[in-house]
Amino acid sequence: MVLLCLFVSNPAHAVVPVDPGEGEDTGLPLLRSAAGAGRDRGYTGVQFVTSWGRGGSRASLVEITHVPGRGSTLRTPATGTSGSTEVLAADPGDQLPSGGLTAPSEGMLDILSRNYRVADVGRGSVCGRASRIVEARRGDGTAAARFWIDEKTSLLLRREIIDSSGRIAHAGAFIDLRIDGTAAKNIVVATPFTPLETTRLADLRNKGWSFPGTLPGRLELFAAADGLAPSGPYLHLSYSDGLSVLSVFVQRGRLDESRLVGWHSQRLRDHTIWVRNAATQETVWAGGGHIYTVLANAPGDTVDAAIQALPHEPPPGVWDQLVRGFGRVVAWVNPFE
Amino acid sequence: MSHLGERVSALIDGELGHTEREKAFAHLAGCDDCRAEVDALRSLKNRLRSLAPTGIPADLTMSLLRMGEPGGPIPPRARPLPSLRGYGPADNRPPRAAAFTAPAKRKPGGGRARRVRYVAVGVASAAVALGTLFAIGGVDNTPGVVPPVEMFANQHKISVQEPATTVRPAP
Repeated sequence: MVLLCLFVSNPAHAVVPVDPGEGEDTGLPLLRSAAGAGRDRGYTGVQFVTSWGRGGSRASLVEITHVPGRGSTLRTPATGTSGSTEVLAADPGDQLPSGGLTAPSEGMLDILSRNYRVADVGRGSVCGRASRIVEARRGDGTAAARFWIDEKTSLLLRREIIDSSGRIAHAGAFIDLRIDGTAAKNIVVATPFTPLETTRLADLRNKGWSFPGTLPGRLELFAAADGLAPSGPYLHLSYSDGLSVLSVFVQRGRLDESRLVGWHSQRLRDHTIWVRNAATQETVWAGGGHIYTVLANAPGDTVDAAIQALPHEPPPGVWDQLVRGFGRVVAWVNPFE
Repeated sequence: MSHLGERVSALIDGELGHTEREKAFAHLAGCDDCRAEVDALRSLKNRLRSLAPTGIPADLTMSLLRMGEPGGPIPPRARPLPSLRGYGPADNRPPRAAAFTAPAKRKPGGGRARRVRYVAVGVASAAVALGTLFAIGGVDNTPGVVPPVEMFANQHKISVQEPATTVRPAP
């Protein structure tokens, strides 16, 4: 059934072009409709998700069941090498700052509209369903993302993220979709976008955390929270350009590299970073008494630029080591400490 | 009572107590020798007291004052760290030729060797101190941390709502 849907349906890239001049910023209402439909419509389907990262491509199938007002259930079917997994996700519009990539929040759409021109560029078809194609364009006119939006239900059927060199970095599309005939009687209203409060940021900075408000690749900080892990407190920063999400986790302490199993080291300028070839392009490094962990659903070049922009202080030099030793000796003999 | 002896002088100077003085006077009333001795000693003291004060010669005074001036002939002393000039008070001694004592006989090059030894000891001490500070400062006492990447990954996946790897086994 799934394969039949894949091969019988019209190619997703079968774009019927329209006048590009008419598409300037005309795609944003379509994306807003898609975001609302992603919350308000009930549906069940199967998506494929493919990412191209440092270690090549990774693909998986995801079974999605969405019930308006209750949220989505995401399940990855069992394959020959891995068992079935399941994630119970909250209603994106209720709790998640980003709203998820399938039903972006108003905040994400605002960030998207600030960073890209969103154009309605034509019509296409996904899984046998007629759709409108919306393209997010960079300032130089190149495409950064394409969205296929179902004409009948406004659901987002396919999504592609394109890196700066024109290659697809991430793709997700329904290969099977069944719409719940009865739409939600009580339409779920999307949570109004609440910008990240400056008082919240000031509170975190008063706790000793330091972090940038923006990162290269048009990434803006849209969520920040601190938490407590078994190894100590941490800071969770979420950056997005409206298309991709990059999470930065910051901890205090010294990275115990001897216990990093399954990671391999790379040189970045004058210091070492540890990477793991996962779909989320996991990266860990230490700098300035902090440990940084980056996970991203973003093009590789965007991830690399963001990692380079985050703090990478070199290891302490001879003078720093002497000063630290002197400070410790003073602390030992100081009866008031 | 025996003769006054050494108490004669104390009697003349009025240093005897009341009882002792009464006994001494009673003895003098019957002892001619002691009375004569007291008279002689009293007469001597009176003569000394009546002498005019003798002035100090001016040249002796000036000589004594010059001894307190800078550059005076202070005898040389051995310095523990001769290379560390400026650490102690300024050396105002005159040249060795003007010293009262003859210059001590020293081995040729002995001072230089001692100075080299002092410098070597100082350098070694500084090296040991710096090495100790470097070693102490190089030991990172902060506990090693391994990020809970799986927990972070779950938080990240929720924010993008795209499970790509195992989160929890399905029932």
